[in-house]
Order: sequence, then structure tokens, then C-alpha cells
Amino acid sequence: MKPDIEKLLDKYYEGDTTLQEEKLLRQFFQEESIPAHLQSHADQFRYFANVRNQHPSFAFTSKLAAQLMATEPGRGFSFTTWFRRLAASVSLIILGFAGGIIYNHWRAASPESVSSREETPSALAMKQVLTFEHLPKTSASERIQAVNQSYELKQIDQDITQLLINTLNFDANVNVRLAACQALSHFANEPGVREALIQSLKIQTDPNLQISLIDTLVAIKEKRAVDEMQRLAQNQQVLDAVRQKAEEGINHLVQGQDSPS
Amino acid sequence: MDLQAFKQRILPVQGRLFRLAQLFLRNREEAEDALQDVLLRLWTNRQQLETYTSIEALAVQMTKNLCLDKLKAHSRRNYSDEATLLGIQTDDASPYRQVEVADSAELMRILIDELPEQQRLILHLRDVEEYSFEEIEQVTGVSINNIRVILSRARQRLRQNYLKVNDYEAGH
Repeated sequence: MKPDIEKLLDKYYEGDTTLQEEKLLRQFFQEESIPAHLQSHADQFRYFANVRNQHPSFAFTSKLAAQLMATEPGRGFSFTTWFRRLAASVSLIILGFAGGIIYNHWRAASPESVSSREETPSALAMKQVLTFEHLPKTSASERIQAVNQSYELKQIDQDITQLLINTLNFDANVNVRLAACQALSHFANEPGVREALIQSLKIQTDPNLQISLIDTLVAIKEKRAVDEMQRLAQNQQVLDAVRQKAEEGINHLVQGQDSPS
Repeated sequence: MDLQAFKQRILPVQGRLFRLAQLFLRNREEAEDALQDVLLRLWTNRQQLETYTSIEALAVQMTKNLCLDKLKAHSRRNYSDEATLLGIQTDDASPYRQVEVADSAELMRILIDELPEQQRLILHLRDVEEYSFEEIEQVTGVSINNIRVILSRARQRLRQNYLKVNDYEAGH
């Protein structure tokens, strides 16, 4: 047995013993009679065997068991909180869907707003191009195109007519102003357009535009323009053709006024 | 996992966990506190326990980490205490060695306490708890070959220190 133990001890210190062999060593050193030269190993193995018999005190284990029991009913509680969370999240989702559906209904119930919303892009684009601040950035043809877009609009509002009037009066390019003049002749029934055309006659210096304005005013039979046309006809600085045109327009308008009465 | 299953699977290991906690903390009350902490933590997380391959390995790891945390907190506190005491507690190289150690078990305990943490842990798991190398690998994450080396070093070192204290002739 002795040489066996010595061999095992060597293996033990090399870390090569199996669990079985280590058990054997511990058992061996538990015995009373140990050869003197092996005595020095005894303490170690006895210590390990002793430590293994240490356990938490009974008072502790019973206290712990009581604690575990106490938390057991808490499971029901934790279940309800868990359920409550779930219910809250589900109701939030339902609320979200309901909100979406109600909003859709509300939108469907007011179709005017929808159609105006649909028109917004083209009108908006037009406004964008014609806005005075953007003048230096846009080309004349772009602006003419924008003015022509106004024909396609189903609804005309104050903003757009005002924009066209501004274009008519202040655009740097004659052709754009002409296009605005023509566009405005289509909207003669809008409030403020007729007055703006008469007003524009005072401002415009370009013969083309003057002629075009006179034509437009005659076409819409705007008699309030007679005074202005007379002033134009008597103005020596104005081109002859324009003066002729103005007189022609005056005649048309006055005749038109006379004939029905 | 209900209470019954928990008791069946966890409570048998509590002796082991307790001894492990004692290995680190060296104090019965503190070890019991740590053990209680670990078990209650396991209990509150019992839903996830099924996903672990070895609950015991998990419990051992938790115990080890908790004890090391406690020790860290301790040493920090002690350090500040020492600072206030202006180093009155001079760290004598080995005060116990001058004292005749009557209780061999107490001596063993102190000697094991002197080992580096990893050696102490592996020695404990192997020689006290009789873990196989595979189980130790699971708990510590150290490869089996390294475990063998560390274990061998720990055993030899423990023996050398023991011989030094007991003034035995080297070897025998």
C-alpha cells in the first residue's frame, strides 16, 4: 500500500490523478496510523475532507426556505403586472389604429379639402416660379410657362391673380408681361382683375403691351378704361399705332355703350 | 420552474456554494449572506434558468463573482480605513508564522488563503468539491490543460508553504 500511496502522491502533485485516486488518498490519510514519512501530507487531505463537511447552518437554510416560500405568491402578482403591461400595449396599438381610421374618415368626409390639396402642387410650383424674390433665378421662358400653367388651374384664388398682376406690371421681360396680360384676360371675372388691367394701362410703356391691354379691355367691355385710353390717345409721346388703337378702343367701348341703350 | 423543482435542483448545491463563498470570504455569516443572495437571484430569474446547460455551473459562477465583488468593496473600504489610520496597521510579512499554529486546519486555511485566486478556486473545486476537469472548465472557462497546470502548481505551492511553516525537511 505504501509505495502505491507514494506513487499516487507524486501523480497528485503533478495534477495527473483521477478523482478516484484522489478519493483514495483522502481516505488513506483519514486513517489513524500513517507512516511517519507521509505524516506531513496528512493535514492537507484531512483539511479537504473536513471542509467538505461544512454546510450552511440549519437556521440559515430554514430562513432561506421561508424566504423562497414568501416569494412564491409573488408569482401571481408578477403575472398580473405582466398581464397589465400586455393589456396596456395592446390597447395602445388599438388606439393607434382607431386614430388612423378616424382620421381617414374625416379626410374622406371633406373632399373639397382633398381636391384643393391635390391642386396645390401645380399652383405651388407656379407661385414658386413667379414670386418676385425668385425673379433673378428663373428664366423668362420658365416664367411664361408658369403663367400658362394658370390656365389649367380649376380654382383661382386671390393669391394667383395678384401674382399675375404683379407679373404683368413688374416683370422684366416683355413677353412674360404679355403672357400675364393674356392670362389675366381669362380671369376678368375675378375680383380686382379689371381694376388692375386699367391701372396697368397707366404704367405700361411698351407699345406691344399697351396695344394688348387695350385689346383685352375692349374684349371684356370695360368702360371704365375709356378715360385712361383717352389720356393715352392724347399723349404725344406715345407711339402713333398705340394712339390709333386707343381711339379705336374708345370708339368700340362708347359704341358698345350707346348701341344697347 | 416552480418552487418544488427549484428546491430539487438548486438546494442540493447550496452546500457547495456555501463552501465556495467561505473560501473567498472566510466568514460564516458573510458566506451565508452571499449564498442567500445568489439563491434569491436564481429564484427571481428562474424563468431563464432552463436555458442554461448547467444550473450548477451558473450558480458557482454567480457565487464566485459575487464574492469577488464583495471582497473588492471590502478592500476599498479597508483601504480608506487604513488611509485614515495613517498606516498604523503595518503589514507584517507573515505575522502568523511567528506564532505557533496549534490548529493544523487553521494553518491549512491560511495557507490556502495565500494562494492566488485562480489557484485557490481550482484547488477548492477539485480537492474539496471533487469536480471533474470538464466541470471546472465549465465554471472557470479555463482549458483543461491549463487547469491541470494550475492545479499542480497550487498543490505544490500549498505543500511547500506548509513545509516551510512546519519546518520539515524539504521533501519529507
